[in-house]
Amino acid sequence: MRGQNYCRLNPWARPLLGAVLSGCVILLSGAIYAQNAPQGAPQIVPRVTGNADPMSDPPVPPIPRPITDDRRVMRNYPEQPPVIPHSIDNYQLTLRTNRCLDCHSRQHTEASGAPMISVTHFTDRDGQVLADVTPRRYFCTICHVTQTNVKPLVPNTFQDMLLIRDPKR
Amino acid sequence: MSLSRRDMLKAQAAAVAAAAANIVIPAAAQPVAQGIGTLEIKWSKAPCRFCGTGCGVMVGVKGGKVVATHGDTLAEVNRGLNCIKGYFLSKIMYGGDRLTTPLMRKKNGVYDKNGEFTPVSWDEAFGVMADRLKAVLKAKGPTAVGMFGSGQWTIWEGYAATKLMRAGFRSNNLDPNARHCMASAAFAFMRTFGADEPMGCYDDFEAADAFVLWGSNMAEMHPILWTRLTDRRLSHPHVKVAVLSTFTHRSSDLADIPIVFKPGADLAILNYIANHIITTGRVNKDFVKNHTTFVKGVTDIGYGLRSDHPLEMKAKGTANPAATEPIDFDAYAKFVKDYTLEKVSALTGVERGFLQELAELYADPSRKVMSLWTMGCNQHVRGVWANQLIYNIHLLTGKIAEPGNSPFSLTGQPSACGTAREVGTFAHRLPADMAVANPEHRKHTEEIWHVPHGLIPPKPGYHAVEQDRMLRDGKLNFYWIQVNNNLQAAPNNTQETYPGYRNPDNFIVVSDAYPTVTALAADVILPAAMWVEKEGAYGNAERRTHFWRQLVNAPGEARSDLWQMMEFSKRFTTDEMWPAEILEANPNYRGKTLFDVLFKNGNVDRYAASEIPAEYENQESKAFGFYVQKGLFEEYATFGRGHGHDLGPFDLYHETRGLRWPVVENRETRWRYREGLDPYVKPGRGVEFYGQPDGRAKIIAVPYEPPAESPDKEYDIWLVTGRVLEHWHSGSMTMRVPELFRAFPGAVCFMHAEDARVRGINQGAEIRLASRRGEIRIRVDIRGRNRMPRGVVFVPWFDASELINKTTLDATDPISKQTDFKKCAVKITAV
Amino acid sequence: MAKLKALLLWFWRIASRPSMYFSLGFLTLGGFLCGVIFWGAFNTALELTNTEAFCVSCHEMHDNVYQELQHTVHFSNRSGVRATCPDCHVPHAWTDKIARKMQASKEVWGKIFGTISTRQKFLDMRLELAENEWARLKANNSLECRNCHSSIAMDFTKQTPRAAEIHTRYLVSGQKTCIDCHKGIAHELPDMTGIEPGWRVPPELRDRHSFREQRQSLQHFIATASAGATGGE
Repeated sequence: MRGQNYCRLNPWARPLLGAVLSGCVILLSGAIYAQNAPQGAPQIVPRVTGNADPMSDPPVPPIPRPITDDRRVMRNYPEQPPVIPHSIDNYQLTLRTNRCLDCHSRQHTEASGAPMISVTHFTDRDGQVLADVTPRRYFCTICHVTQTNVKPLVPNTFQDMLLIRDPKR
Repeated sequence: MSLSRRDMLKAQAAAVAAAAANIVIPAAAQPVAQGIGTLEIKWSKAPCRFCGTGCGVMVGVKGGKVVATHGDTLAEVNRGLNCIKGYFLSKIMYGGDRLTTPLMRKKNGVYDKNGEFTPVSWDEAFGVMADRLKAVLKAKGPTAVGMFGSGQWTIWEGYAATKLMRAGFRSNNLDPNARHCMASAAFAFMRTFGADEPMGCYDDFEAADAFVLWGSNMAEMHPILWTRLTDRRLSHPHVKVAVLSTFTHRSSDLADIPIVFKPGADLAILNYIANHIITTGRVNKDFVKNHTTFVKGVTDIGYGLRSDHPLEMKAKGTANPAATEPIDFDAYAKFVKDYTLEKVSALTGVERGFLQELAELYADPSRKVMSLWTMGCNQHVRGVWANQLIYNIHLLTGKIAEPGNSPFSLTGQPSACGTAREVGTFAHRLPADMAVANPEHRKHTEEIWHVPHGLIPPKPGYHAVEQDRMLRDGKLNFYWIQVNNNLQAAPNNTQETYPGYRNPDNFIVVSDAYPTVTALAADVILPAAMWVEKEGAYGNAERRTHFWRQLVNAPGEARSDLWQMMEFSKRFTTDEMWPAEILEANPNYRGKTLFDVLFKNGNVDRYAASEIPAEYENQESKAFGFYVQKGLFEEYATFGRGHGHDLGPFDLYHETRGLRWPVVENRETRWRYREGLDPYVKPGRGVEFYGQPDGRAKIIAVPYEPPAESPDKEYDIWLVTGRVLEHWHSGSMTMRVPELFRAFPGAVCFMHAEDARVRGINQGAEIRLASRRGEIRIRVDIRGRNRMPRGVVFVPWFDASELINKTTLDATDPISKQTDFKKCAVKITAV
Repeated sequence: MAKLKALLLWFWRIASRPSMYFSLGFLTLGGFLCGVIFWGAFNTALELTNTEAFCVSCHEMHDNVYQELQHTVHFSNRSGVRATCPDCHVPHAWTDKIARKMQASKEVWGKIFGTISTRQKFLDMRLELAENEWARLKANNSLECRNCHSSIAMDFTKQTPRAAEIHTRYLVSGQKTCIDCHKGIAHELPDMTGIEPGWRVPPELRDRHSFREQRQSLQHFIATASAGATGGE
């Protein structure tokens, strides 16, 4: 596995180092983000706030490309549906055929090498476990989406559950 | 400890990567190193913040932050499933540019319409607002004051708004963005059944043998209902799905009968189906005889444009577009006889075989049919007609108000039904289907509100599109917008909306959680608490009222819309706001604030804040000293109880995953108007449409009429606008969730490959899309999820940098005043 | 019958007699020229029928398969190299091409009788039509794919790791041919129930045969075990 050497770090140094470094990065990015805005006024981020003159027509950046690196991305929380790390351009997902299940169904994972759909996907509306994927989960793209190679428009301050200590406890 | 430089670099890289994702990898190999307490998450129920489906979600809170969300397995609507947006609810409140303090345009330290946004205190913001409002009232009276609300308001927020506007400021210029969304549906319900909202419910999905989507793309817009439909279709091979649209999209992928028709031609298809049912002798004669009457509508009713528009001058039926006259079955049969298979096939461009198959789904008496529609029918210059023509075919066959036989109007916002429609935040409505124009209804309302008679103005106010026109014309001068992004959403915003907001005579206030296009075009921005940062209630499309608790605190000084309105009401006295003659007749109302008479009226302040469980915060109740939400809800619920709109007791809703009204003796009603299923149907009637005085639903004869604007030589392409799965409405929440943004990072123009090629446009190229009203620059996608026919393009409206509504036409249905966002003519050229 | 025989005899008599009016040179050159003209015309006609414009001049092709093609990578892509209908559906080698063209005469009947004259009929026929094409490509080892995509010319470093791995495992090893996995790349797919995606499911799921085998081996095992037990008596 990549990054295995990483374990050789002292178990205490690791989180400390991570915390310090990430703190710096967060502070830095926050500073960069804040510096353009006049004091307290909202910053212009055209795709969400509109252009500085909302009725103007500046040039439009190219359509970003899908990420196809096949690398699994950590979920924000266990219940989050994983994002698709490959292109699904022109994959057919119809009444007649399901290209996703061609690789990800239990029957085909051995030959395709793809991860199997989660066990939750076998449970029907009444909580019964079925022999194959439940029809209600047939259209994969309702929950699973590809990603493109763009930076987020504004930073999201959502915090991972493992980082939050409940002050009440 | 030995650390090589290489190890060090690797560790740094990992930490930086983790930090970039805002995460520091915790070290513990054992998950419970510091005890199980560190792992515990507090889970509470809430409805989803997005569409009208009304999915239940479980919200996980840890240390005062939402850390996870997932589908609620106990929620009937979704039983554990969420769509991609629902699964990312956890992140919608944490966009880095959340508004945390009021902002006001200032120059040299004082308010100035052309100043820069400057942080101010609530006191200063409210002070300036109150001064402006009083000045406007003094100069022009209540008709110059307006408010634009939302189907995303909680029930009590909508209720507080309607009280504040109608009884406080004495203005009916209150309209919700649901006008752009559900007005046609609501009018059609009232005209056909005499009562708003569907008779059926989502349980119909598991009982129907056929589904017909009239212009709806549920696969993207109502994904969880789509899972229920898909479940039914794939589990039972006899089930058929027909998808009608003006282009091919993801819902078409499940279609047994895929139909792409010419924009606006749906009216002809609906009349053809009625004709087919009649000519093949499949009318349910008993049902029609006992439960329906026939009427004929006025025709040539215009397009709801400004009255000096040539189209309005030309139309003959604009005086009273909603008028009808009674006819009989034979006259109706004769009327639809024109809509033959040949004629309709030619008009719509749909293959005859498909039309026949579709008509048979309805005509076949052994097949239970569920019809589903949203904006395709509602955002339509003949939207009320389109809705009513669907009811026609269900009524002719008697396929209505029983499990599986269900004409079902879907909603786009989480509380379009619960707040906008039921509470009555439309310019012409009062709670529980009552109307401001009706003196009895006004009187009843004033009694429940404990306010003097004659206070509520009798004339309906300006509807959404009219508000924009009046702002531009300088007749509406104080305008407060809450929970919506109308500068992005409103049609023809270059010519109407934006000039209205920036009109120097006007003062615009926007309450929102984020700096939206609308907020940045305003004069004052108020930071709003959102979703689980306040206690709330929504009502979904199947009449389900669903509550949630406040689970976290809003950041900084952000406050809920409810707090904003109630706190603001303290700045006005009855002596300033109400006419002298009313105060003379009711001297005990003198010298009180609007807060006292509207919210501390003995009803709303009846419940103590101590009733709120200690484990949950409630900022509003803390601020005002009583259980605000319960008081408002219980006062509001008295409108409907005993009148077929019964809501259950407040506390019951916090225990359940929502209940479908009428809730009689704590029991919900799944199907209305059918004996045995609906407690309001009198015994022995079988079916009773009790909203109408005679208990009969109306079947209406109205023709196909063309759209307001069709492509011509110069503007040669149809423009259809709408949404995509990953973004909700104007994208102000979803575009700030990195995963959703990356999944669909900007609007594109979906276009047919040959249309692009003849204009010299490549896949992904930048184009100029222009109408007679405005233009935008945008990129072209000829290979995307929406597969366009020749001559039609589709552009979603979630992208604030590419405002497609600069090009749309502000034509509305003349009856419902709802905008048609689906049909206008544009031209496209390469940049 | 007798009349036909007489006609044939008459023709033979004329054809077998040397010419009395035209010189040998004229006849050979004339024959050659006529041949050239005929061949040219034949080939031109053949090539004309071998263009996308010809294919989509029928509404059946234009409204169904051509619409679907336009959304795919075979119509619009990075380098702008486009596949037209005949690139995939007509063999490039002459004999195969003629064979395919003769087959196509059947399609003319289809056109005349309106076999797929509506979208509805087309959708009903789609599985049969697709199966014909899959069988043809399977039989010729995906020849039309390989006219452009040579497996040996694939640069695995330029493919996603997933694609490279699967190509190594199935394509380069010769286990599979292109069409086995790449069905529906240019058109929408028919009902794919029971059609494997290219790779096969594990043997225990594959067919009844393997279940029978399993049962037989179990019976055999029980039989021998009990025989052994009896033998031990």
